[in-house]
Parts: sequence; structure tokens; C-alpha cells
Amino acid sequence: MSNSVKRMDGMDPVAIIGWNISPMVRNTDKTEAQMLLEVITGAVEDAGITRKEVDFTCAGSCDYVAGQAFSFVQNIDAIGAWPPKRDSHVEMDGAWALYEAWLRLQMDDIDVALAMGSGRSSTADPALIYSMEMDPYYLAPLGADAVSLAGMQARALLDAGLVTERQMAEVAVRTRRDGKSRAYNQVSGDFDVDALLAQDYVRAPLRRHDLPPITDGACALVIARADKARELCENPIWITGFAHYSELHYPGMRDLLTSNSTTLAGKAAGIEEGPIEVAELQSAFTHEESLLASALGLGPDTVINPSGGPQAANPIMATGLVRIAEAASHIRDNGKHRTLGHSTSGPCLQQNLVCILEGGI
Amino acid sequence: MTVKFPYRRSLGPVLGAFMTALTEQRIIGIRSADRVIVPPLEWDPTTGTELAHDFVDVGPAGTVEAWSWVAKPTSQHPLDHPFAFATIKLDGADTGLVHAVDAGSIEAMSTGMRVSPRWKAERIGHITDLDAFIPGEIPQMAAGGGAAEPVTMMEYDASIQYRIPITPNSERADAASEEGRFLGLRCPICSRTYTAGRGFCPIDAIELTPEHEVDLPHVGVITNYTIITPTQYPGQTATEPFSRVHVWLDGTDVILGYQTLLDVANEAVHVGMRVKAVWATPGDGHADNPRAEGNLIGFAPSGEPDNTDPALVNHIL
Repeated sequence: MSNSVKRMDGMDPVAIIGWNISPMVRNTDKTEAQMLLEVITGAVEDAGITRKEVDFTCAGSCDYVAGQAFSFVQNIDAIGAWPPKRDSHVEMDGAWALYEAWLRLQMDDIDVALAMGSGRSSTADPALIYSMEMDPYYLAPLGADAVSLAGMQARALLDAGLVTERQMAEVAVRTRRDGKSRAYNQVSGDFDVDALLAQDYVRAPLRRHDLPPITDGACALVIARADKARELCENPIWITGFAHYSELHYPGMRDLLTSNSTTLAGKAAGIEEGPIEVAELQSAFTHEESLLASALGLGPDTVINPSGGPQAANPIMATGLVRIAEAASHIRDNGKHRTLGHSTSGPCLQQNLVCILEGGI
Repeated sequence: MTVKFPYRRSLGPVLGAFMTALTEQRIIGIRSADRVIVPPLEWDPTTGTELAHDFVDVGPAGTVEAWSWVAKPTSQHPLDHPFAFATIKLDGADTGLVHAVDAGSIEAMSTGMRVSPRWKAERIGHITDLDAFIPGEIPQMAAGGGAAEPVTMMEYDASIQYRIPITPNSERADAASEEGRFLGLRCPICSRTYTAGRGFCPIDAIELTPEHEVDLPHVGVITNYTIITPTQYPGQTATEPFSRVHVWLDGTDVILGYQTLLDVANEAVHVGMRVKAVWATPGDGHADNPRAEGNLIGFAPSGEPDNTDPALVNHIL
């Protein structure tokens, strides 16, 4: 029966069967492992299984964010890794942990995998941390931080007439209004575009509302191979396309007006095979939304970030995995059929991942 | 808690040539087919082709392409007053150099403006030898010549302050230690006992709370040990070889790793030695031992006969 599931060439069908998203807060009193303990418990319960039935786990987190070398080793405590489990870790968003888990299931020897992402951005000043992840010769010694570099990309888009500061503020107002639909969100509510545009710049042309909040949070998600997914779940949400591409790191050598890696990832994931009803994009900065939508070829019929997106909660290292969980939620809980989750990494959208989900198959 | 990241990196033939040129107040790019890439890379960023070391001087002036204004610089930024980050296409280059523009105010910034380098007086072969770019066509040169030898290494020091949450369990464990007690937490499912205020059982993945607390015995046996010959690194104060021992507390499955052993010469440390905890007088603390938790100074021989079980060495974690 699994043959009826449309799939990427050469890939076995794998479905999402459960997930959990933590409360998103500015400053949690929980450790990263405690946050993970709760979302893993929530995700396996959502999938109707226990930790014992998980055959492979993969985590996305960042030592620089945690302030500790090998910080992910402590996070394994949240998995319940006895008897020993097959476990892996990526120093990337949990969306890439999900990618590895999905690849791992392709080996056809195990059925269930769990991916997670976690970050306590309140641990230190993100403006100091993210510059350390830049090119160590040319960029990190300048303290080139993510917001300053995003500001340069916003300027390029403004100069090219591809976006306006008003449109950027409108993205902030829309996403934070939509963000009211999720109890876990950190920043949501009703804002006024003109009032936002009257605020000072943080890194001109970016104002406070163009930036994501600084968030502590975690997310976990359970996937299973086709037969197991159908056994455990009435309506599995199928991963029908999954791809990621990276382009060169140095922003001065890239065309900042577009995102080739996003376009390539979308095509490789089969985005053109049908309409996308909802896209959950990791557009942490307001100007990135239209850039990503355009790179993916999304038209006005695609609803973007109805969960509120990263503007409403931005748990670094989990923001992308939350996008995929939300894309799944639009199918399971809101009756959509084909949705998309996107994640990004690196300065000015250097690396991009696209995950296409389908339900009702 | 402040974590320092003192990195020393080798530069290789291409980045080294760029950094050496900076000491000579020159900016170089590298040719790739008909393009000039600045700052130079070892491989073409589009095709991945390894590039011949065909360097070319660019600038010194250039044109601002994209920029953002930093109203409040961080401690890592090159300037301590408001400035712009910009991609600057230097004359003769086909890519943009990311650097600071010291324009005085945001009103002085515009896309397409012309800028020139301002050089530091002391140049060591580092991207910050370029102090910043300034508006106009005329570079601000500094005194002095280039490096006597080609630059091959660079230093990068960052320092970040972290605030780590202290959980209620670890607070109670610390408080117990101040009173000269070992606080354990026993998992209600598997009965394994943990120390140091662990928040949950890693086997059963459940939270451990005050109702799971137990007091642990103060005597145990050495299951393994290491004699450490100190090498000097930041924070290391020891100069002579010393021992660290793993102690298995009686009647539990708790191993305390890397404990201080008192009153025993390095040659006399052995597996099976019976030891007891030695505590400082409550309230005294012992600032001389930064490793110690609470008021535990270390372990000393208890005088009991050795435990001769050969399987002891397996109990190290």
C-alpha cells in the first residue's frame, strides 16, 4: 500500500507521526536537556509510542549557544538512551537533524526515528555568538553579526525596489497577528504599521520589528517508515520532498537579491509538482519573506507563516524544525493537503532546506 | 561565566598573501578566469576550481554596494562609535569586500558612495589592519613598512559571557554539600541513584524531584585513578603530578569521578583502596580548591582493608 505514496526518486516513503513544540520564552529557567525532555515526551505521546520504540535519534543544537563544549552529550539524557540507542547530532537547526533521520530510515533496517532541535539563546548575547560562526579570517574578526549582515541584504533589496520598509513592517504586523493562534508563541498581538515605522533603527534599514525575538525553546518530531506509520497513525503526513543546498559563505561574493540555494532545494524537493497551500518559512528577518517566496516560486495562493513564523518565536537551532512541525500541523489540524517547511542557516540565507509534506494519501 | 576563545590559525598561501599585503597597506585579489575575487579565496567560489596564485592589486578606493548602519557597536566590532557594515566593490575587483565604513553619521552613507581605506599604524597581518573605510577617493595612509617576513598565522580572540541556569536540584545538592552531606536522587523506576543535583534519570527519562532525594554514605572504594602531569594552559595552577580518583560510594551505584585524594603519595594510589570523604568546616569554604563542590575537600584513606574485587576497575562512570 505504501506504493501509492508519491515519493522522491529512489527514496522510500517516510511520514511524520507526531511532534511537540515547547513554550517559547525570552529567558527559561530550564536547562536545554530539560526542555528536550519535555518535547520528546510530548512528541512520542503524540505519536502514540514510547521512547523505547524509537530506533534512531538525531539532535540539532549549538555549543556556542550553550556556552559549553560537547553540550549535546548532556542532552542525550533526555532521550532515555538505555539500552543504548543509535544517536547522532548536527551542529545545525533541528530541520537538518530531521533530514539525517529521514536519510537514516532509508536504510530499511529500522522503522522509527526522532529528530529534535533546541537552543537557549538567552544564555549569552546572540550578537556576539553568531559572528563567531562566520568565516574566521575575513568576517569573524570584524564581529560581523547576523543582524548587521541581514541589514545589508535588506538594503540591497530596498535599493533594487524588491521590497519597501512599509512592506517589511506589514510582514511583522501580519505574522505577529497570526501568531496569536499559537499559545506557545513569544511575541504576538496587534501592531500598527505606521507606529512601527516611527521606531528607531536597530541596524538600519532594520527596525526592532524586522528582527526576530531572542527565544529559548525546543521542538521534537517523530517519523516512521510507511508500514509502521500506517500502523501507528490514521493519517500519516508524508514527506514527499526533502532537499537542502548551500551556496558560498561570503556575502560580498553572492547576489543578495536572490537565493539560488533556496530555488535549487525547492526544485529538488519537487515543489513544482503541485500547488503549495501553506509555506512555513524560516524568514527570521521581515525582508527575507518575499525573497524566499520568490525564490521558491510561491504565488499569492500560498499562505505564508500562519503560525506567526520566526517573527513570533525564534528558538535558534529549532526554528526550522518548528516550521516543519507547523507545516505538518496545517495538514493534520487544518485540513490542508500539501504544505512546505523551510529552514535556513548561515549569513544572508546561505544554506536552505525545503521539506514538502502531503496528507490524505 | 566568561568563556574565552583564543584561536591561532594558519593562513596558507592565499590568505597569507592577502594578510601580508595588508601590512604593506595594499589590498590584493586573486584572478579567476576574467574575474578578480576580493578578498582572495583558494578556490573559485562558483566552480570550485583551485586557483593559481595570480594576485592583483585592487582599490585602494571602491564603491559601497550594500550597507547597514550600526548605531550601537558591540565589543567585537572594529569601531567603538556608530559605523556602517558594507560590501565594498574595490576598483578592479568583481566581488565585494565586507568591512566597516566610518562615515560619521548615517546621513553620510549612501549606496554607490565612494570610499577609501584608512590604515592602522600598527599592522600585523589581520583584517583589522584596515582600520575602516572612509568617504572619498583618498586613502589615509599610516607610517611604517610592511611585515619583515610573510605573514603565516593569525590570532583571533573572542570572549563571551554566558549565564547558565542553576536548577533547583543542583541548588539543593550544593546546599547539602555545604552541610557536609552527599545528596543523591533515586529514580523511582530503575532505582539508580544520581548525584550533583541531576534533574532526571537518563535511563527512564523522567524528572527527579525532592521526593526522590536520599543521603548517600561518605565512605567508598577507589575503582580507578589517573596520575596527571600538569601541562600549563590558562587556568591550570598545578605544577607537580597529582592523582584524581574515581570513588564508588558504599551501597549505591554512584561513582564520583575525578576526585581529589588527600594524604596519599602518587606511587601509593591503587584500585581497591578504601576512602572516606573529608569536609571543610561549614561556612569556611576552601577557595584554594576551585574544583571542589560545596565543602567537600576530597577523600582520604579510611584505614579499612582493601577491596580486592578485580571487577572494581569497570566501575568508572
